[in-house]
Amino acid sequence: MKLELQHDESKFLIRLADTSVILGQRLAEMCSRGPFLEEDMALSNISLDLFGRAEELYKLICKIEGADYTPDDLVYRRNEREYYNIKLVEQPNEDFAWVIARQFFHDLYAETLFGQLTTSSNAELAGLAVKVLKEIKYSHMHAADWMDRLGLGTEESNHRLQYAVDHLRKYIVEIFDFDDLDRRFIADTASLETTWRNAVSAKLQACNIEEKEIVTPSIRDFRDGYHSEHMGNLLSIMQYLPRAYPDAKW
Amino acid sequence: MMTTTEEHKEIWEFLTEVPDPEIPVINLVELGVVRAVDVTEDGTLKITITPTYTGCPAKKLFEDLIHEKLVEKGFEKIEIESVLSPAWTTDWLSEETLQKMMDEGISPPTDGDKVIQCPNCKSKDTKLVSQFGSTPCQSLYTCNECKEPFNYFKCHR
Repeated sequence: MKLELQHDESKFLIRLADTSVILGQRLAEMCSRGPFLEEDMALSNISLDLFGRAEELYKLICKIEGADYTPDDLVYRRNEREYYNIKLVEQPNEDFAWVIARQFFHDLYAETLFGQLTTSSNAELAGLAVKVLKEIKYSHMHAADWMDRLGLGTEESNHRLQYAVDHLRKYIVEIFDFDDLDRRFIADTASLETTWRNAVSAKLQACNIEEKEIVTPSIRDFRDGYHSEHMGNLLSIMQYLPRAYPDAKW
Repeated sequence: MMTTTEEHKEIWEFLTEVPDPEIPVINLVELGVVRAVDVTEDGTLKITITPTYTGCPAKKLFEDLIHEKLVEKGFEKIEIESVLSPAWTTDWLSEETLQKMMDEGISPPTDGDKVIQCPNCKSKDTKLVSQFGSTPCQSLYTCNECKEPFNYFKCHR
């Protein structure tokens, strides 16, 4: 499908919805591959929360647009360049440390962002934000706990977490490179960035991980539909069934 | 056109016959999922529900089960609407419901997840095994006293 959103609010919301669904997909890939059973269930549970959050956001977008398409169409029938998720969440599950660092960075961002949206002038969006905030906080607790365990665990676990953090931090700059749309719908973009940066610095220090000098990759902004090389692969797996069997029903 | 309170009461009764698909001992009214029952002017029965967690796999099933029950009771025009606000909370569970959970072997939610009682031996000396359990609303604990593992229904507010 060629998606053309008419309303600014849905153009903003689709960034949040896409970020949720893509991270949900990455965590779903971990199903049956967790380091042990309880953790496998934890990641699958968080994945479900993200899919649920994405679905509610897509429903809201469909409603604002008065669209004849559904959340499923939006997820399964758009191409890479029509997705507007932050690149952080499309980064692969290289190992468990990547899963945790990615989740920690995302949850901290999502918690502050949805926290601000609880006072949105759109009552439905505000209600949704109140609802999902509880879930994000729980997931954040889980990720923060694992940051400590990996960072302060063994030499090997610390080394792996450091490697994951070094890679993932390359995809942070664009998140805070706000545009007019962000500034319209996020009450306080400046505090979103400072809250995130301060909390991350404190955490990394506490779990013995260095904040190294990083070189940001030369890929254009996610707000214009640009992605890292991992996005196409992710979509080809996620969208395979509905593309091979259009309109298939369970 | 009947929209008497009596009729609504009967419908609420019918809805208490719909069990939660994952914890069948609790019904959807007790769980706080059913928020309102209305009959519109054209006689459509309108049920307003709210999901426990946004990603709860039983979300769609709630609607199907409610629909099925009302059809069984002879209703024809049924509309089910899901709303997110006010957000579902375990504060809506009654004392009686909490007791039912305990009897069923699921430790019920306590204020801030602080004191968690083993449903088997009733000891309060228990430890968290995993923040996430078999459903989004539960986490896994072990009792330090009787050593039995059990599910705890998370405090959600």
